[in-house]
Amino acid sequence: MSDDFTPDNVRKTVFSIIAKEAGIDESKVTLDSTLKDLEIPSLDAIQIIFEIEDHFKIQMPDRDPNFDTESVKGLVDTVEKLLADKAANPPASGSSTPPAPPAA
Amino acid sequence: MNRRVVITGVGAICALGRDARAIWAGMREGRSAIAPLAGFENQDMRVKVAAQVRDFDPAQHFDSKKLILLDRVSQFALVASREAVAQSGLDFNRGDLRQRSACVVGTGTGGEETNDEGSRRLYGEHNPRLHPLSIVRRMMSAPASQVSIEFGITGPSFAVSSACASANHAFAQAFAMVRSGVADVALAGGTEACLTLGVLRAWEAMRVLADDTCRPFCKQRRGLVLGEGAGMIVLEDFDHARARGAEVLAEFAGAGMSADAGDIVMPSDVGAARAMTAALRDAQLAPEDIGYINAHGTATPANDPTETRAIHAALGEYAKKVAVSSTKSVHGHALGAAGALEIVATIGALREGVIPPTANFIDPDTECDLDYVPNVAREAPVGAVLSNAFAFGGLNAVIALKRPS
Repeated sequence: MSDDFTPDNVRKTVFSIIAKEAGIDESKVTLDSTLKDLEIPSLDAIQIIFEIEDHFKIQMPDRDPNFDTESVKGLVDTVEKLLADKAANPPASGSSTPPAPPAA
Repeated sequence: MNRRVVITGVGAICALGRDARAIWAGMREGRSAIAPLAGFENQDMRVKVAAQVRDFDPAQHFDSKKLILLDRVSQFALVASREAVAQSGLDFNRGDLRQRSACVVGTGTGGEETNDEGSRRLYGEHNPRLHPLSIVRRMMSAPASQVSIEFGITGPSFAVSSACASANHAFAQAFAMVRSGVADVALAGGTEACLTLGVLRAWEAMRVLADDTCRPFCKQRRGLVLGEGAGMIVLEDFDHARARGAEVLAEFAGAGMSADAGDIVMPSDVGAARAMTAALRDAQLAPEDIGYINAHGTATPANDPTETRAIHAALGEYAKKVAVSSTKSVHGHALGAAGALEIVATIGALREGVIPPTANFIDPDTECDLDYVPNVAREAPVGAVLSNAFAFGGLNAVIALKRPS
């Protein structure tokens, strides 16, 4: 439920996903850290983004200069922004229809 | 025994064209075949662009009895092979040539169209019945088998797989067999038909794809653009080619291979440089002999600076003078077929004295400080070339060709 996605919960969840995927202690993760500071290699970074997307049912931007996905604060802010966008523009009802098979 | 090895035929198919001549023309012009992704309109794809082979009608190339055996990946390999063999003028039925010929075909992903179709039946339609020819269509070695069957090649034949270096590794194997006398002729290359929903989704998740186009070595590069196709060449013992009066397109001078043994995705300049140095040594060429390097040049943030450092390391001071370009800017990254499409560029450069440009180039990147021949082809005599392939997983293969003497 998106109601559970309070800012505090979002931050905690993002921290825990980073810690789990990177195999580091959660206490090391702070809002001020960058993934580089935390010595998180690129392959772990894309897994972190993948897990965040899966958990919050959102799609994180790819190399968009308006979003910072290199720092912990940037990730948290991006998730909050995307959740707010989603709450403001809920998907049309009956959107559970599976996508059509590819034409080719 | 170390015999001279020459190339007497080349064939290719990709988004740029249906044969090697058309592809070379597109490379020279710097005419990009990258276009909006077609065929997935209802899928909300994050992949926006690709270098697809459009309007390819397999029925124009294969009868229905043959076609039912062929994944798209084998179709491409066969089309390219027929062109290469026709150009070489070889008749495999003469003498013992069938037994004296080898066939090595690289592919990174294999029969993905068949794989995708099977997955859709199994998981999408809950249909447990897969097509009875699924295995023979999708096995990684299917293209090698189909090419050997097509020409009756009965010597050593197998597939080579090393992701984006598959074609160059295949060339290296074929070259070694002809040079050592295991075979007199080898049909070798790479093929890929990877633009299926499953493969595209997997690449999307890696976040290395550009959403605009492929801009190797320039500041505005945003990642790689996937392509597809195949390239095949005929390698031949020089004396064998001379005895039958064949036209020699280029001399296959050497190959160098290495593994980074490091990260599964991040490339290493050390490993790449070792492969380039090994290729130069194998070909008995000095850095100054090289007139053109066809770069791996994927346009990812990581590859291009790393490859630039590798070229500096392998060529020393001369690196600043050598012409380097990435033709992936026009035909995309065809993974296991990449080196096989790019050999069309190096053969063209040797034969015509024209260096194909790096297309879509905007501004230089401070980390990429070589001469990338931006946007416009350049006339220059080219005596020898290198063609680089550095795969995910750190598997590197570089080939060296020179103008026939």
